[in-house]
Amino acid sequence: MGLRYAYFPGCVAKGSAREVEDAMRAVVKALDIELVDMPGAACCGAGVMKQANHRLQLTLNARTFAQAEAMGLDVLTPCATCQGNMYEDLALLLDDEKLRAEVNDVLEKTCGVRFEGNLRMRHLLQVLVEDVGLEAVRDHVVNPVDFPVAGYYGVPMLQDGASGDDDPMDPHYFEDLLVAIGSSPVDYDGATRSVGFPGLLGRERTAMLQTAEVLSEAKQEGALVMATACPLSHFNLDVYQVKAKKVSGRDTALPVVHLPELLAFALGMMPDRYAQLRTRALVMGA
Amino acid sequence: MAVIAKVWIEPDCITCNACEDICPDVFKVEEDSSMILAAVRADGAYDTNAGAKSPLSGTLGADLADLIIEAAEDCPVEVIKYELAEGATDDAPAPAAEAEADAPAVAVADSAPVAGVSEALAAVMEGDRSLTILFGSQTGNAAGLAERTAKLAANYGLQATVKDMDDASVDSLSTTRLMVITSTWGEGEMPDNAEALWQAASAGGPSLSATHFTVCAIGDTSYDEFCKAGHDWNNRLEAMGAVRVHAMAECDVDYVPPWQAWVSEALSRIACVDASGTFHETLVEEMSAFASSGDDDSIADGDFTPGQVLSEEMSITLRVFRYDPVASSSGFDTVACALPGHATVQDLLVAISNDVDGSLAFRRGNGAGTPTTALRANGRIVLSDVTRLDALVNDGGTLLVEPLPGHPIVKDLIVDASRVERALAAAAPWMRADPREGEVLANGSSMGTMAAVAAEDLHRRFDVHAPEAAHGMSDCTPHDPSYLGPGVLTRLWQRASDPRVGAEQRRSLLRTLQDEGGVWSETDLSAIRRQGQEGRLVAEAMTDARGRLLSEFRFAGRSGRHIKWFSRTVKWSGTLNETILAAQTMGPIGAIMNLPATVRMATGFTRTGAPLARDLQGFVAPGKMPPLVNSLVDDHHEVKAIFDALDRRF
Repeated sequence: MGLRYAYFPGCVAKGSAREVEDAMRAVVKALDIELVDMPGAACCGAGVMKQANHRLQLTLNARTFAQAEAMGLDVLTPCATCQGNMYEDLALLLDDEKLRAEVNDVLEKTCGVRFEGNLRMRHLLQVLVEDVGLEAVRDHVVNPVDFPVAGYYGVPMLQDGASGDDDPMDPHYFEDLLVAIGSSPVDYDGATRSVGFPGLLGRERTAMLQTAEVLSEAKQEGALVMATACPLSHFNLDVYQVKAKKVSGRDTALPVVHLPELLAFALGMMPDRYAQLRTRALVMGA
Repeated sequence: MAVIAKVWIEPDCITCNACEDICPDVFKVEEDSSMILAAVRADGAYDTNAGAKSPLSGTLGADLADLIIEAAEDCPVEVIKYELAEGATDDAPAPAAEAEADAPAVAVADSAPVAGVSEALAAVMEGDRSLTILFGSQTGNAAGLAERTAKLAANYGLQATVKDMDDASVDSLSTTRLMVITSTWGEGEMPDNAEALWQAASAGGPSLSATHFTVCAIGDTSYDEFCKAGHDWNNRLEAMGAVRVHAMAECDVDYVPPWQAWVSEALSRIACVDASGTFHETLVEEMSAFASSGDDDSIADGDFTPGQVLSEEMSITLRVFRYDPVASSSGFDTVACALPGHATVQDLLVAISNDVDGSLAFRRGNGAGTPTTALRANGRIVLSDVTRLDALVNDGGTLLVEPLPGHPIVKDLIVDASRVERALAAAAPWMRADPREGEVLANGSSMGTMAAVAAEDLHRRFDVHAPEAAHGMSDCTPHDPSYLGPGVLTRLWQRASDPRVGAEQRRSLLRTLQDEGGVWSETDLSAIRRQGQEGRLVAEAMTDARGRLLSEFRFAGRSGRHIKWFSRTVKWSGTLNETILAAQTMGPIGAIMNLPATVRMATGFTRTGAPLARDLQGFVAPGKMPPLVNSLVDDHHEVKAIFDALDRRF
């Protein structure tokens, strides 16, 4: 029997980055992973709501945790922001019994459920490396990614514990996975640096300079494509690419795809989109 | 007088010539290793003598003993080993484990008679006097006490070895004398470094019938499970057959006084366990008197110099950033190094500066966490004078050392932190209290004390003690010259949170935090949060500050609107509505200015999507553009009820 997870795609994967959803379904099918939808799960707060009211964000996430717990499953998300944020809240609730009791009181009154803490938060990257295994991924590769790819992690996930057994300060899961699907990973400092997504709407200029730095660095180091493990950071790196170039004067033109997309391509899914990506890499790259 | 029986060279000689310089009659350095000359060996062979271990010929062992010992002590990689002749004494500590194992009778502490004590006590103090001190420590307090205990143990004729529980196996519990010093973490849990050993000991382990032990537990009475980790060890060691020689100490947050009370009695008793494992309770009083007669029995504050928990030597590759301001060139130097894991990053840089390249520029600290020594090592912002190498890199790994980010680089690892200093001075975070009626008593002394909760919170906030390092934790300080940076802003928020601050100053501080360059200039707090405990404190302080500012300034500015509309759309449907969020945060003019990005998103220009028609359908159905109206999550009324219960501002 394959692996099973409660699936938490995150709001952006259900909104402006629906290609994540398309690709996730293809990937899990190829790797024999079963995703159980959580139609009642609310937004994780993305660290934004926490600034106004952390107890509110904690309680909403505790409700989501309770739903997964009722399924007896760990939660899988393809979003580094959701992973970092929800892991942090889960750890806080598990560590602080008094806080957990207070949050459970509210949950019980408003939703009639309680959260006990019998689950883990997992990002797709960790599941692929730790649960599925790189060998198994390699065995399923149909169209090897035969060009250099710069992996971008998404900073919220790079916290102690949130990155699984990977070293949050010097991670290598993304690079290991890229090797497994045939690519040569690009070594660049920006892989673990913030592109300032949380400040995109409030501090756009700074966020654009941060974004441009990461993109141009990846390109300088020889990347033809960038793959991201965070749909939110992806927004900066892709949609705001031209603006980042305009603000910074740096060369930011680089095709950017989501990690699930690149993986789906390598596993032989969506060949038309893969062809588009290869063409764009050829046109924009080098 | 020492007499050397045998001398040999172990593998990994670095052919530095030091031994040959000191004692050319014995050592000859060849291309791969130092050799023992044939002329001094009984077997007449010429090699390292590591295999044959041939004795020295004639009286050379006595004639050259001092030089051989000097060469062994000065060997930088400690590959020169020797064995003392039976019956001889070695005035210097024998460097080789083999020497200690093969000739136990030569160790001074093992055999020298003890002056001024009864025959019975002298007998107890003969032979093996080893003491193992294991510590379980989360924040370093227990480790510090272990070191202090080890220092005092020498007064009792004990040879203490301090061990991190992380480095100890369950078999190492089986020793004649054992002291355990451990803190308790969270709700009665073991500290992280003790967890593996505790699991192993709980699962079984050897019989400890020959072990005498005592435990010192550190905890916090405000938690239900006070000192639970200590109690667990106390009970487990007894269950494994060990004999308790002294009752367990329970230390509260102010842990030094109870430790002081415990340690003198505990050492007096455990020192009365002789080499055969017999406890002589009748000698405890005499042992105590003997220990206090020494010169080094003071444990007053300030007497203690923190020691180091020793660890194995590591071979690492150092990549250190270099910048030459004259030539305006930069790059990395790569150096293969071998240092013990307990050496600090600063030790490493000093070694490089002394032995490889004296032009390497870096700031030196006093070994107590000097803020100006902050730099980036393997991605972590650390203080180089206190950060151990084994906390950053494994044996055989690479250590990347770079200057502290967020500051202009002066040379190599030296940065100019004057921006932070100027910003701190301009922000004036020092306290200015308002005068108030009745603030002093008739006798002139101040009245009133701060509430305990407020004091604790304030002290916690002030744990961030290196604003320069905190400044380097942010990924956006290099891109925003107006940004005061997390180091300065944390100081401002600390001061603004201080209940002793006057109302006018608090208003001024909050205004600085809210304005251009304040806390909203930080684009990503998670980049700060990932930088260890100090990073977490800084990120939490900035989050707390933002929460206060949102209430104080009623969600003003783009960042305030962003948070308000983010939360509001989640309340409405259970999920974030990106369309409404962007429109409300940017406003109509901002939305027009952002049109190119919007078009780019709508068309999926660079993305690997479906046809354009599919992208645009997002306005009415799932597609590339986020929907205008979100569908509700299941049981959405629950989400709304949670909002209503906890925050009605949205």
